[in-house]
This record gives sequence, structure tokens and C-alpha cells, in this order.
Amino acid sequence: MFDTRIQIIRLIREYFWGCDFKEVTTPATVVCADQEPHLNPIAVSFHDERGAASQFFLQTSPEYAMKKLLGAGYDKIFQICPCWRDYEESGHTHNVEFTMIEWYRRPGDYQEIMTDIEQLFKFVAEKLKIVKLLNCRIVSEWERISIKELWQKHVGVNLDDYLDVEKMSGLVRGLGYQVNADDDFNDLFYKIFLNKIERSLGMEKPVVVFDYPIQMAALARPCAHDARYAERFEVYINGLELANAFGELTDSVAQAKRFEEERQERIRLSKSAIPIDKELISALESIPMAAGIALGVDRMVMVFTEAKNINEVIFGTVKDQIL
Amino acid sequence: MGSTQDIRKGAVIKNNNDLYVVVESQHINPGKGSAFVRARMKNLANGKVLENTYKVSETVEVVSVNFQTMQFLYKSGDRFAFMNMSSYEQIEMDGDLIGDDAKYLKEGIECVIGLYEERPVSIQLPKKIQYKVVEAPPAVRGDSASGNVTKEIGLDNGLKIYAPIFIKEGDEVLVNTETGQYSARA
Repeated sequence: MFDTRIQIIRLIREYFWGCDFKEVTTPATVVCADQEPHLNPIAVSFHDERGAASQFFLQTSPEYAMKKLLGAGYDKIFQICPCWRDYEESGHTHNVEFTMIEWYRRPGDYQEIMTDIEQLFKFVAEKLKIVKLLNCRIVSEWERISIKELWQKHVGVNLDDYLDVEKMSGLVRGLGYQVNADDDFNDLFYKIFLNKIERSLGMEKPVVVFDYPIQMAALARPCAHDARYAERFEVYINGLELANAFGELTDSVAQAKRFEEERQERIRLSKSAIPIDKELISALESIPMAAGIALGVDRMVMVFTEAKNINEVIFGTVKDQIL
Repeated sequence: MGSTQDIRKGAVIKNNNDLYVVVESQHINPGKGSAFVRARMKNLANGKVLENTYKVSETVEVVSVNFQTMQFLYKSGDRFAFMNMSSYEQIEMDGDLIGDDAKYLKEGIECVIGLYEERPVSIQLPKKIQYKVVEAPPAVRGDSASGNVTKEIGLDNGLKIYAPIFIKEGDEVLVNTETGQYSARA
């Protein structure tokens, strides 16, 4: 298991270097951690030689730093690095410390990134001489399906009609799930998605699920064909979510507004306050069009080894150290 | 009433008037948005398995279960016998409810058994169990150079696991029952 992990990480590097990407390194400790309201970065303090402390966080993703590199003029970059997310389970598909690979293209759109990930998996599968993982044919052409089509298929409704909290609440209630006063659109969406859709994704061949409602855009830009949706996609193999990608929002004004909303939401949820990354906002001004993705390396190893628990593919896991 | 915090293996919850014992629970964090808990649970009346996903902080109707420390005695057919360590009373439990955990059982280990109305419905194993190695092929020179740093070994209750190549027959090893992996030499 661990041998396969070593091999896969080597193959990822080979693949990206072979495609003219540059491997970059950015600091794992950051002052401006991810503003996402539901992420919990781990706070750490650094001390200078006189003992004066500075407040840092362990990165939850290298996204902000890598986008600053795009702003500085790098056009195809990747990074494999540890990330930390506190208050998460250590087992099954999560681990407080995990390994991520992110890559970005400038200029680039999210369809190129979809092709990248498909080619990467096929490259690794070929080198490992793997055709099928459980019943999922990794070497087949991957399925690409929009969130809207998925809802039509699995829930039997047109998602266009349920794009606000009120209408989505009615749908959730109608399907027999709880609706709480503090549920936002994301919560309601996932109550249906996780119960009715997710488990069946990517069982026969890998699937790319794209164009999420704009409320779930995070750092993605609105779709050109319909501004109610955003250029975000996720990849599923055997029901496991492996990656999350964006056609990046490079409108610095719009991004500054989203950061401020997220910061307010963090305050409302009594989460640790994180300063807004002004450097990132100004870097966006010099990025014309870009796309990028975060792929969980441990989960990728799980898929290739058919492991059921993330702890099987990590050496000396957090959990093993606690017990 | 309870919350999603109470959804853990062995808990009994009421769902649409039926009672279910949680077989497995899993935390899901979609990355953007709130966290969720996915529970695989077995209907106590008909054994059917249901999967349900709850948002963290949702209310869940949790039924109280009486947890007792019991010692595993023996297996007979598909029934597993345990002895209550405080009353010395003996009970039997369906293999079906023990599931995959059955492979870790060995005579004399203490487990926590959940009783609902006197009926055993769940089992919690110790996080690590010690076994004696009864089968361990000798390490071959050059194994580690070719990348083979583990080998399959057999334990005294019939369980087979992968362990580092330095483990020998007669050693005592600890196995993590949550991951099924070798943990340490005891």
C-alpha cells in the first residue's frame, strides 16, 4: 500500500513535468488562511529571537499562494504539499493532516483542467497497469455531467426552479429531510445531494460533475452561459470525491466582496478571524483568465489501492499517534 | 433527543418510528459549506440496512442503550457468546450485528456490548488488541531493497495481517482494530 503511494506521487511529478508544468513550493504557514466559513485552520504562533509572537495558520490549501504566483507571471504550476483542516474526522475519507496536489493554468479554463485530471489518472493507471478499480473503468472516456442534469436524473426536478433558500427548503422538506432555521443554500443542497446523488457517482466510469449553483461558487467565476451557475467541478470515482476545481474568479472587485461576506459569516459562526488577503486581491488584477484544481493525493492513492480507509494509505497517521 | 454528535457505531436511533443500530458512521466535509454525518444503520426489526446523511447539529432521536463490559467466550455457528463482567451473566449475540469486527475477536478479550431492552445490539472492540504470531514466513534477503517492507503474518485467532518483515513467529503484536493494521510489537 505504502509502496503504491510512493510510486503514485512519483508518477504525478513525472506527469506534470512532462506537460511543462513547473513544481513550486509556497509556505505551509500563512497569515491569511482560507476565508471559507466552514474550514477550521489550525492556529500556530511563531516567535522571533527575542520571543515576540506572530499569529500564523497552517494552510488548509495552497490556493491563495499559488494564485499569487500566477499573478507574478507563472503560467503552468503545480505543488504537492501537506494541508491541515482542524475539527475533522481522522479516518474514512478525512484526516486532519493530508496531502494535496494543486495545479493551475494561466491562461486556462476549467475544461482544460478536466482534461488534465483525466489524463493524469490514465497516465498513472497505465504505469501501474490498472484498467479497472472495483467496477469503475478508469481507462474509459470519463463522463462529464452538469449538476443540473444530475438533479434531473436522480431527483427528477429542474434545478433552475430551486435556486433560492425558500424553494430549496420546500424541496428538502418534501423529500422527507429536516430543514433547520439556520440552513443556508449549501446545507439544503447537500442534504439532497449527499443522500440521493453522491453515493452513485463514478461507479462504472469516473465522473466530472460541473457547474454548481453560484451560491456554492467560492472562488469560481460565473458561467458565461448562465450566471446562476459557476464554473466549478468535482471528480468522483466509486462514490468518492477526489477533487474540486474552479474556472477562477479573476475579477478582483467581485472577489473582495466575496471575501468580505465570508469574513462576516465566520464572525457569525464564531470562527477564528482571518485577515483578508489583500495581496491575493491585487494579484488577481494581473491574471486575465485562469483555472485550477485541488486533488486529494491520499484519496487518489485510496482509489488506486481500493483502500476503504484513508488511514490505510498514510504512514503513521494522526490517529495512530493519538491512540 | 440527541444530536449528530451521538451518531456513532453502536448507538440506537429512531428513524420514521423504526429503531436502527448504527453500524458505521462517517464524517463528511464537502469542503465548502457545513459538515455532515453519514450513518449506515441496521433496522433492529428486519435487519435491513439504511444509509442516511445528516447535517452536523441536526436533531436525531437517540434511544438510550445500556453499555456493559463483557468478555468474549466462544463462537458457536453464527452466534457469539460473551460474559457480563459485573453480573457474570452469559449472553449470545448474532454474528450479523458484529459484522466485520468478528475477525478480531479472540477468547478472553473485553468488549463493550450495547444492550437495548436486554438485547445485545452493538459491540465496541478495544482500539488495539494483542495477538501472538503463529505464522510468519522468514524475511528474504533483498526484500527491502525491492520495496517489500511488509509481509503477511498469521495470528493466534486466525486473523491475517501485514506486518514489518522483522516480525517473527512467537512475537506478540498489537493490531489497530479500526484500521485492521499492524500497530506495534508488544
